[in-house]
Amino acid sequence: MKYSTLVIAVLLVAAALIAGCSQQQATTQQPSAASSQGIIKVGVIASLTGPASNVGNSMWQSAQVAADKINSDGGVTLKDGSKAQIKLIVGDDESTQQGGQTAATKLITDDKVDILVGGYSSAVTSAYEQTIAEYKVPYIVTGASSPIITHRTDIDTSYIFHHCPTTDSYGQYTTTFIDQVLRSALDKKFSFAADRPIRLALLYQDTAFGKGVQTAVNNTITNNKLNIQLVAQQSFKMGESDFRTQLTLIKAANPDAVYLAAFPNEGAPIITQARRDIGLNTIFLNVENNDNAQFYKDLGQYGEGAIIESRFSPYVAPTGAVADAQSTFKQSYFTKFRTYPDMMGASTYEGVFIGAQAIGNAGTTDKTAVRQALVALKMPQVIEAMKDKTISFSPDYRESSFDLWMEQLSYNATIGETRPAIVWPDNLKTSDFTLPSWYVAGSSS
Amino acid sequence: MDTLGIFLQIIFWGLYAGCIYILLATGLNLIFGVMKIVNFAHGEFLMIGAYITATVFFLTGINPYLIILLSMLALIGIGAVIERFCFRPILGTGKLNEIFLSIGLIYIFQNGAAMIWGDSWQSVKSPYDGITVPVGSLSVPLDYILIMLFTAVILCGLYLFLKKTTIGMQMRATSQNRKGAMLVGINVERIDIISFGLGCALAAAGGTLWVVSGQVFNPYMGSIPAVKAFAIIILGGLGSIPGAIIGGLLMGLAENGAAVLLGGIWKDAISFVILIVALVVRPTGLFGEKGE
Repeated sequence: MKYSTLVIAVLLVAAALIAGCSQQQATTQQPSAASSQGIIKVGVIASLTGPASNVGNSMWQSAQVAADKINSDGGVTLKDGSKAQIKLIVGDDESTQQGGQTAATKLITDDKVDILVGGYSSAVTSAYEQTIAEYKVPYIVTGASSPIITHRTDIDTSYIFHHCPTTDSYGQYTTTFIDQVLRSALDKKFSFAADRPIRLALLYQDTAFGKGVQTAVNNTITNNKLNIQLVAQQSFKMGESDFRTQLTLIKAANPDAVYLAAFPNEGAPIITQARRDIGLNTIFLNVENNDNAQFYKDLGQYGEGAIIESRFSPYVAPTGAVADAQSTFKQSYFTKFRTYPDMMGASTYEGVFIGAQAIGNAGTTDKTAVRQALVALKMPQVIEAMKDKTISFSPDYRESSFDLWMEQLSYNATIGETRPAIVWPDNLKTSDFTLPSWYVAGSSS
Repeated sequence: MDTLGIFLQIIFWGLYAGCIYILLATGLNLIFGVMKIVNFAHGEFLMIGAYITATVFFLTGINPYLIILLSMLALIGIGAVIERFCFRPILGTGKLNEIFLSIGLIYIFQNGAAMIWGDSWQSVKSPYDGITVPVGSLSVPLDYILIMLFTAVILCGLYLFLKKTTIGMQMRATSQNRKGAMLVGINVERIDIISFGLGCALAAAGGTLWVVSGQVFNPYMGSIPAVKAFAIIILGGLGSIPGAIIGGLLMGLAENGAAVLLGGIWKDAISFVILIVALVVRPTGLFGEKGE
C-alpha cells in the first residue's frame, strides 16, 4: 500500500472522528398539529452518548420526571380551555457538533416539536443555533453556559432563552469567593502580609465554555481591582484524560488555589492526577456542572477539601423555600431511575416546566406567541433558588438569574466518597470553609 | 521545582504516554506487516481490553496487573474471530473495503460496549494508588514505573517470539514475502489469524495499562489513540516493529512537549504535524525501506 493512500485514509478518518460540523440547510417548516390533538411536543436535546453522556442522561431523565409531574397534574391548559399532555421527544447530540446539528434538525423538521429544551456543551449547542434561528423554534437552553449562546450577533438568537448561569456569572462569583473567603482563611492560617496577592492558577477546557470562565476570572480581577495574581493559565482539549504535563507546569508556578473549567469526566481525573501523581496539594475550585454523583464517585479521597460552585447538588440542599421541592424532585428521580439527578438535570427539569408555563400563558403552541410568553414570563421558582424567587428572562439577552452557593467536599471513608457542605454565602452555609491539614500554600519563590 | 526538574518530570510523563502508544502501534504494525491490511478499529481493541480489565477487577478484586494476561488472551480470541469472519473474506479486494469494514467495526464495537457496560466514563484505582518511588531527583508514582516495566517485558517477549519460535519466524517470512512464504509451505492463513490475534492482544495490554494508570475510559476512548497509532507507524516505518517503538516514544514526548510550548490543545494535533514532517523529510519513515 502506498504511503499517500494510507495518509489520506488516516486524515479522512481523523477528520471524521475528531471534529466536523456539517451545516444542514433548512427546508420548509410544517405547522404542528400536535396541540390540536391534545399533545404538546417538547424536544429535549441531550448528550445521550459520547463523553458528556453522564450529564446528558441526567438531563433527559430529569425532563421525563418533569413531564410525568405535569401530566399527572392534568397537563397544560390551552386558550380554548382544553388540556394538553406533554410528550417528550429526545434528540441525542452524541456530544458532537455534527450530532447536535442532526438532532436539532430532526426534532424540528421530522418530529415537528413545539418547543426545545436542553443543550449541554456550549461548543455543541452554538453549532446548531443557526438551525434554531432559521426555523424560529423557542429553545430553553438549560446546560450550555457560555454567554455567546444568546449574546452572539451573527445569527438571530431571539428564540433562544438561557436558563442556567453563564460563565460570566459563576466565574465572577467564584473569583469573589476566592478573594473574600479563601483570602481570609489563608491570612488566618499563615499570617500573610495584608498586601500579599492570592496566587491563582487556571486550568480550562479550550472551548467557548472554558475560555468563557477564563475571561470572566480575568475581567473580575481587573474590573474590581482584586489582589489576585494569575500565576498560570493552562488549557486542554475537550475530552482529554491525561493532564499531568499542564499540572506539572501549574505546580511549578506555586499557586494558592487552582480554578478548573472542566466537565466532570475531566475534573475528577485532573484532581486525582494533581494530588496523586504531581503532589499538588492545594484547593481545587470546580465549576457547577461537576455537582454530579459520578464526579463524587470518581474523586474518592482526592476530592477532600475541593470546592464546587453550585445551585443544585445530589447530596445537599440549602435550607429554606426550595429544600422541600428539591427533595421531592430527587426522590421522584431516584424512584424512577435508582440514582440521583445532577445540576444540569435540575435546570432541564425546570426547563420543561418553563416551556409548559409559557405555552399555557400563550394559550397556544404558535411559536411566535410562545416566544412572546417566554419574554414576558414571571413564574415562581421551581426547585432552584432564583433571584427574587422568580423565573424570568432578562430583556437584553434572555438570561434567568440564579442564587448560587459554594460547597466544600469532605471525605467519608465509610462510603469511599466525598460529600458536600455549603460554606458560602453566610445566609445559606451549613459549615465553615477550612483549609485541609495537608494544604500547601503557594509562594513566589 | 527548578527548570530541570520540570523538564525531567515532563519527559517522564511523555515516556509513560509513549508506552500505551507503543503497544497499540506495535500491534497495528504486526498486523499490517503480515496481512497488509488497514484496520482503523484497532483502538477499539484497546477499549475492550480496558473494559475486560475493569470488569474482572470489579467482580473479583484481583490485582489489575494480573488481569493483563486474561485481557490479552481474550483479545487473541476476539481478534481471531474478527480476522476469520471480517477481514479474511475481503483480503485482497481493495483498500477501500478494508477501510469501510474497519470504520463499521468501530461503530459496532463502540455501540456494543455501550450496550454492555454503559457509556459513562469509568475509572479503576490501582492497588498501588498513592505510592511514589524516587527516580533521580523525581518522585514518581509506582504505577507508572510498573507500566513501563510491563511494556518492556511484553516487547521483549514479542521480540523473542518473533526471533526464536517457528511461528515467529513464519510470521516474519510472511511479512517479508507472502508468496514466497506460501511456496515454502507456510500456511499464511494460519499466520494471518495468529498475527491479528497477537496484534489485538498488544492493544488489550495497552488497555489494561491505561486502566491501571487511573485514566478514565468509556466506549469511545479508542478512536483518537488509533489515529495516533497510524501516525506512529507511518513515522516509524510501515511494518517496522522498532519503528513503532521509537515512534511511540517520540509521540509521547512530542505530545507533552507541545502541551508545554504550544498549549494543551496541540497534544493531539502534534501527531499530524510530525506525520507531515516525516513524509516530507523521510517518506519511508524512520525505519522503513523503499518499496514497502
